[in-house]
Amino acid sequence: MKDPGHHMTDDGVHIQWPDGSPELRLPPASPLHGNLAERIARAGRPLNTRCGQRGLCAGCTVELVTGSFHEKNGAVIPAPAAVKACQGDVSAGEGATMVVPIRSLAVHSPQVVSSFKVNIPAAQDPSVPVVAGSRDHGLAIDVGTTTVVVALVDLATGAIVGDASALNRQVEMGDNVLTRIQLAGEQKARIALQDAIVKRTIEPLVREVCSAAGVGPERLAGAVVAGNTTMLHLLTGTDPTPMGVAPFRAPFTDHRILAAGELGMREIPAGAPVHLLPGFSAYVGADLVAGAMCTGLFTEPGPSLLVDIGTNGEIVLCHDGRLLATATAAGPAFEGGRLSNGTRAVAGAVERIAFPDGRFPPAIEVIGGARRAIGICGSGYVDFLGLGRRIGLLTPNGRLNGDAWEALPPEHRHAEGGSRGVVLNPREPATTITEADIAHLLQAKAAIAAGILALLRRAGLAPGDIRRVHLAGGFGLHIDVAHAIGCGLLPGFVPSQVEAVGNTSLGGAWLALVDRGILTEMTAHATAAEIVELNLEPGFEDSFIDQLALP
Amino acid sequence: MTTLELLSEAVASGKSKDAKALVQRALDEGTAPVEIVDRALVPAMASVGEQFKNNLIFVPEMLIAARAMKEAMSLLEPKLLAAGITPKYTAVIGTVQGDLHDIGKNLVAIMWKGANFRVIDLGTNVSPAKFVAAVVEHKAQLVGLSALLTTTMPAIVETVKAIRGGVGQAVKIMVGGAPVTQQFADEIGADGYAPDAGSAVDRAQALVGAA
Repeated sequence: MKDPGHHMTDDGVHIQWPDGSPELRLPPASPLHGNLAERIARAGRPLNTRCGQRGLCAGCTVELVTGSFHEKNGAVIPAPAAVKACQGDVSAGEGATMVVPIRSLAVHSPQVVSSFKVNIPAAQDPSVPVVAGSRDHGLAIDVGTTTVVVALVDLATGAIVGDASALNRQVEMGDNVLTRIQLAGEQKARIALQDAIVKRTIEPLVREVCSAAGVGPERLAGAVVAGNTTMLHLLTGTDPTPMGVAPFRAPFTDHRILAAGELGMREIPAGAPVHLLPGFSAYVGADLVAGAMCTGLFTEPGPSLLVDIGTNGEIVLCHDGRLLATATAAGPAFEGGRLSNGTRAVAGAVERIAFPDGRFPPAIEVIGGARRAIGICGSGYVDFLGLGRRIGLLTPNGRLNGDAWEALPPEHRHAEGGSRGVVLNPREPATTITEADIAHLLQAKAAIAAGILALLRRAGLAPGDIRRVHLAGGFGLHIDVAHAIGCGLLPGFVPSQVEAVGNTSLGGAWLALVDRGILTEMTAHATAAEIVELNLEPGFEDSFIDQLALP
Repeated sequence: MTTLELLSEAVASGKSKDAKALVQRALDEGTAPVEIVDRALVPAMASVGEQFKNNLIFVPEMLIAARAMKEAMSLLEPKLLAAGITPKYTAVIGTVQGDLHDIGKNLVAIMWKGANFRVIDLGTNVSPAKFVAAVVEHKAQLVGLSALLTTTMPAIVETVKAIRGGVGQAVKIMVGGAPVTQQFADEIGADGYAPDAGSAVDRAQALVGAA
C-alpha cells in the first residue's frame, strides 16, 4: 500500500531521536525478527514497553513521518501517524522515517531485592581461596531475568559489607527468557547477550559495591552465582536452544567452576574462581536450588513448599526425603504486564489496598510515599482480589457485582465501551482496575495455584498437611499473605503456614560462598529431584480451570 | 424453560454438572442427540463466542463454559457416532512439534465442535508428518496449528511446508497461539489466523465456506 505521491529512495528504516543523537538505521521489516520495538531495542535504544508489548500502554509510541506501519492485526497505517512500535513493524519492502519522542525511551528504576532470610546455619569455610589481608572478599551474585543483585562479602567474617542491584541489561533485547533463548540461537546475539550481563550489568555493580565499601577489586577471591538456567547459559555464552523446545533439556545444570577471566569478568582477578550453582532443570534453576537450601527446605521436618512467583512460578515440594519440582506459566500479570494500569513494584506503584469499614473509598499506599501513583503493582492487585470478594464487590467469576458496582460513588466507577472497572482514587488516573485486568490476574493466580496442587497431588498431600510454605522473591516479600490465600493464589492454606523469605536465590549464593560444604549438598539435592511437566500432568487443565474462580 | 433452553444456559454459564444432568434429561425425554447438539449446544457456544468478542465475558469464563460443553459432548458423541451422524466439515488440530502447551488449543477445539465441526485433536508435540497423515486420513477441510512459545514458531513454518507439500491447497491452514500474528501467518502462507478462540470460529467457518 504505497503512497504513490511519495518516492522512496531506499527501503531502510530511519529512526531519529529527540536528543539529537545520530540517526539509527534498521534493515527492512521481517516478521521473524520481531516487531519494531524489539528491533529498536536490539539496536541498543530500548523503548518504554512497560505493558509487556501488549499494546495496552502508549509507552513505545513513535511518530511515523514517512512510509506506513503494518500492525500485526493486519491494519496498515500510513504516515503521518503516531503508532505503538510493539504492535507491528513498518510495511515490508518500503522505506520509512520516524521520530521517537523522549517519553518513549526506557528509564530503568529497579527494585531493591537484596534482603533475604537464611533459615539454616552455615560454617565459615569459604568456597574460594582466601589470603588473609590481601584476597579476603568474595561476591554473591543473583542473576535474575529482570533484576541482578551483587553482594560483597567479607570472607573473614561472612558479613555482607555492601550490595547493589540493577536491571539486567539483557532486558533491552527481550523481556522474557523465551525471547532470549530464541535470540541466543545465533552466535552474534549470544555474544551480545553475554556482554549485556557480564560487561554492562555485573561489572558496573561490582565496581559500585567495591567502591562503596572501600574494598579494591584486587581483593576479590572469587564469586558464587545463582540464577535461572537460562541466565546461567547466557552468562557463560552457552547456546540454550534445546531449552526452547520439548523435551526442554538444558545443556547444563551441574555445578561449574570457571575462572573469572574465562567469563570476561574484568573486575575480578582473572584466575579467581566463579562458581555457578547447580539447578534442578531447564525451568527450575539454580535460583530455586539456592532458595531451597537457604530456607532449610531440604533439611527441615516437612512437608514443605518453596514457591517463587514471577512470570514463571517455580514450586519445589520436599516430603519425606522426596523432592518434586515444577514451573508454571503465570505470565506477567503479577509484574503488571497486560494490565491497564499495571506496573512493576517501583517507586510510585500502589502496593497496598485496603477497604476501611469494608467499602469505598479504599485506602492506598504508594511505594516510596510518592505523591502521584504511576500504576498498581502485584501486591496491590492481590489485596484487591483478596478483599474484593470479602466486601461483596467481586463475584466468584471475578466480575464486578452489578448492584455493588452501581452503588459505588460515581467517581469510583469506570465504564468504557461496555467494559467496567473501578477507580481506586479518582484524583489518580493510573489507579483503575477493569474486569479485563481481573481476568488476566485470575489466569496468573490459577496457574500458580494449579501448579502447587499438582505437586501436592503427586505426593498424596493436602494443603493442610504442609508445615511450612516459603514464599520467595521480591513479590513474596511484599504481598499480604492473608490476601494471597483469600484470592486463591495460595489455595487452601492458612497464614500461619506461610513465611515470606525474600531473595533466597541471593541467600543461597551467599551460603555457598561462605561455606563450601553447601556446594556438594546442593548438587546432591539438585540431581535427586523429580521434575514435573505440568502440561503432561493428568488433570492439570481441569485443576487450572477450577482455580480460576475466587474462593 | 424447556430442557434444551436450560441446557444451553448451563453450558454458556459453565455449569458442568447441570449440563451433564440436563443432557441426560433431554435424552430421557426422547430428544435425538443431534437435536440436542443443534438446538442447545451450538447456540450456547455461539453465544459464548459472541459475548467474548464483545468483551462481555473473558478467557476464564470462556474456559469454564468450554469445559461444560466438553462434558455435555462426551455424553453425546458416542451416540452420534453410533447413529452414523457426522458434521459436514472436519478439522484437524494440534500443538506443533516441540511445544506441550494445550489449554489454548483445547479451547479452540471445543469452540469448533460447538460450531458443528468434526474435530480430530492430535494433542501436543505433533510432528509435521502426523499432521499431514491426519489431514489425508480424515479428509479434513481445515487444519489448526498452535504454538505458545516463541521458540516453537519455526515448527509452524515446517508444518505448513509439509502440509502444502503433502496435500497442496486442498486443506485450509489456520495458525494461532500467543506469539503468532496475522503478519506471521501471511508470511508463511497460512490461510488464516485468529487472535483468540472466539474469532477462530468465525475464521474457520469463513475458510471452509460454512458461514
